[in-house]
Amino acid sequence: MKRVLHRTLAVAAALVASAALAACGASASSSGSSGSGPSTLKVWIMGSSGQNFTKLTASFTKSTGIGVDVQAIPWADVDTKLTTAVASGNGPDVMQVGLSELPTFEKSGALMDLSSYLAGHPALDSSNFLDALSTDKLNPPGKVLSIPWISDVRVLFYRTDIFQQAGIQGPPTTWAQLHADAVKLAARGSGKYGYYIPQWDAPLPIEFTWQAGGSVMDPSGKVNFDTPAFRQAVDFYASFYRDKLVPTAADFDQTAGFISGSAPMLISGPYLATSLTGIQGKWAAAPLPTDSTDTSLSAGSTLGVWHTSTKVAAALKLFDFLAQPSTQVAWYKLDGDLPSNKTALSDPSLTSDPTFQIYARQLQNSQLLPLVPTWDTIQTDMLTAVNKIVLTGANETSILNQLDQTVATLQK
Amino acid sequence: MTLTVKPPLVRSEGRPWPRTPRRRRGARATPYLFVAPAFACLLAFGIIPIAIAAVVSFTDLNVGGLGNLGAVHFVGLRNYQALFGSSDFWSALGNTALFVVMGVPVIVVVSLAIAIGLNQSQSRLFRALRTFYFLPAVTAVVAIALIWGYLYNSQFGLFNSLLQAVGLPQQQWLSDPWLAKVSVVLVAIWRATGLSIIILLAAQQDIPAEYYEAAALDGAGRWRQTVSITVPLLRFALFFVTVTTLIAWMQFFDEPYVLTQGGPLGATTSISLYIYQQGFQYNAFGFASAASVVLFVLIFAVTAVQLRARRWGR
Repeated sequence: MKRVLHRTLAVAAALVASAALAACGASASSSGSSGSGPSTLKVWIMGSSGQNFTKLTASFTKSTGIGVDVQAIPWADVDTKLTTAVASGNGPDVMQVGLSELPTFEKSGALMDLSSYLAGHPALDSSNFLDALSTDKLNPPGKVLSIPWISDVRVLFYRTDIFQQAGIQGPPTTWAQLHADAVKLAARGSGKYGYYIPQWDAPLPIEFTWQAGGSVMDPSGKVNFDTPAFRQAVDFYASFYRDKLVPTAADFDQTAGFISGSAPMLISGPYLATSLTGIQGKWAAAPLPTDSTDTSLSAGSTLGVWHTSTKVAAALKLFDFLAQPSTQVAWYKLDGDLPSNKTALSDPSLTSDPTFQIYARQLQNSQLLPLVPTWDTIQTDMLTAVNKIVLTGANETSILNQLDQTVATLQK
Repeated sequence: MTLTVKPPLVRSEGRPWPRTPRRRRGARATPYLFVAPAFACLLAFGIIPIAIAAVVSFTDLNVGGLGNLGAVHFVGLRNYQALFGSSDFWSALGNTALFVVMGVPVIVVVSLAIAIGLNQSQSRLFRALRTFYFLPAVTAVVAIALIWGYLYNSQFGLFNSLLQAVGLPQQQWLSDPWLAKVSVVLVAIWRATGLSIIILLAAQQDIPAEYYEAAALDGAGRWRQTVSITVPLLRFALFFVTVTTLIAWMQFFDEPYVLTQGGPLGATTSISLYIYQQGFQYNAFGFASAASVVLFVLIFAVTAVQLRARRWGR
């Protein structure tokens, strides 16, 4: 009798243990299903704009009855999130895609081809959007995998008060002036810099290359850094480090440095402006300084539909709503993201702001980063190479030759 | 905090386990039933993933291939060739070795010293201290990174303010390639000692008091007792701590991931972080799998050598 009891207990214990095990496996998948009714779209919004997006779409839900269940994905987690979604087949209905991620998303097959659904939505026509971000430019020929949503552009931010104290008249308009102004500003004393170069900002050397009149794409559509313009860009980039005009600390905080005045001049996107309310009236934006051009970087995000979503019609309605000039203007006021719609960009309520004028003007004068699938790896290698030169004093020629080889191998 | 963590520490070695009388067949299944859940876990989260990674390491799997297996090709040993030809891989491997060399001995020695110190008294203060030392081990790594990130920060960090206050030059804790390595190792040591201390403390409490009484009668002082009784009898616990710490440090990931993202210029990129970057940032799953297979082989080899060494040591 005692033995039977012993055995029963053992079996029971084993069962409890396996049940607990099964439960721990199941808990991971149960969280995704909340709030997805029959007419609710599951939407992934990148960055910290999730709450604002819910606010923006409240009127859409009211008028169409289509719910919007927003999940905010931090930018740093985008890749992991995409990977797991592709691998498991469990994606949202709609997702925001950053332009730098777009080639990866397109290649992954995660986005549905919307070309056959666009007929009833004139608002989504390619011609409504900024030329640089038009639907035609962002999509492979014959397909519409995503629709433009917001745009983004880099401009020069500078501290008007500090410029005045240093006796500098207005923002620099040429490379030479930018460097000369940085020298004056850095002379303010220790811990004060003339300019700031974010060590994580891979597009910056590319912008300099464009400004030097070059391109990083060769005619055959391959990335190529073996050009005089890129070498010129690297020299310009390095000149700030050589003359000790920029902080060398990797953890230097751009926003804190600009607000404290430690780094009173830098190139950034409109998102910086949203953190500058504390120094209102002490800063301004300006077009990028020119070498042979003043080309800036334009970026932005698009919206796509997950390839297995069954709610394509509802998603397209949402896209239509989001592409309306009034929605785009509301979103700029709510979240600070620039519109991609041309009409919204010339909306009087926005263009009355001089800073917005700068953004809009610079947008006309900007380029996208190359949309090639290996771009992420290539730009990281490029940035590492450039930073090696400026931070460790490594030999420029040998580092750049090595970079050229790596880039060639990556595109074989 | 209760101390219930007690690995089989001072099992009187050499004596065979008491022989159990032959039971009926059903009863013999009992141990297997007990082991089954743990084994199922090991199979599901250990063995099967390793086997899959081994297969994937011979393919060109990327994010496109995840959704469409038809786009995945076998590429033979090409991933391994690229891996061994990559200077970043060797640099990550070198960094990991350096982290292990800097971190593991310090953790073992420091946690042994603290554990012996904490065992000197059962007073309220010492019990509170135990919790204090264990706290970093149970704090979320993100919180730790945030706090230490602020401490180390070159613009407004506490360490630099203190240095400035006493007139010393400010340091770039996370930006100087060498100092950054030391900085992340320091955080990792601070975080990892807690668990080792608890294990060693528990093991000490298993040492019979008679040994110390006998030693005291023979005129052995505190130091002599520690060296000749405590440390030798902690052999198994020390071995356990060393092996687990070594394995953990060969997979060093959290601290550089959250503090420096592997920077500056890859100076704190460990092999695990390298695998993560290749796999999840650049979506090169085949290549990343090859690297993880190499890491697995390395850890397996090091652990096997340690187990052997212990057997020879007896």
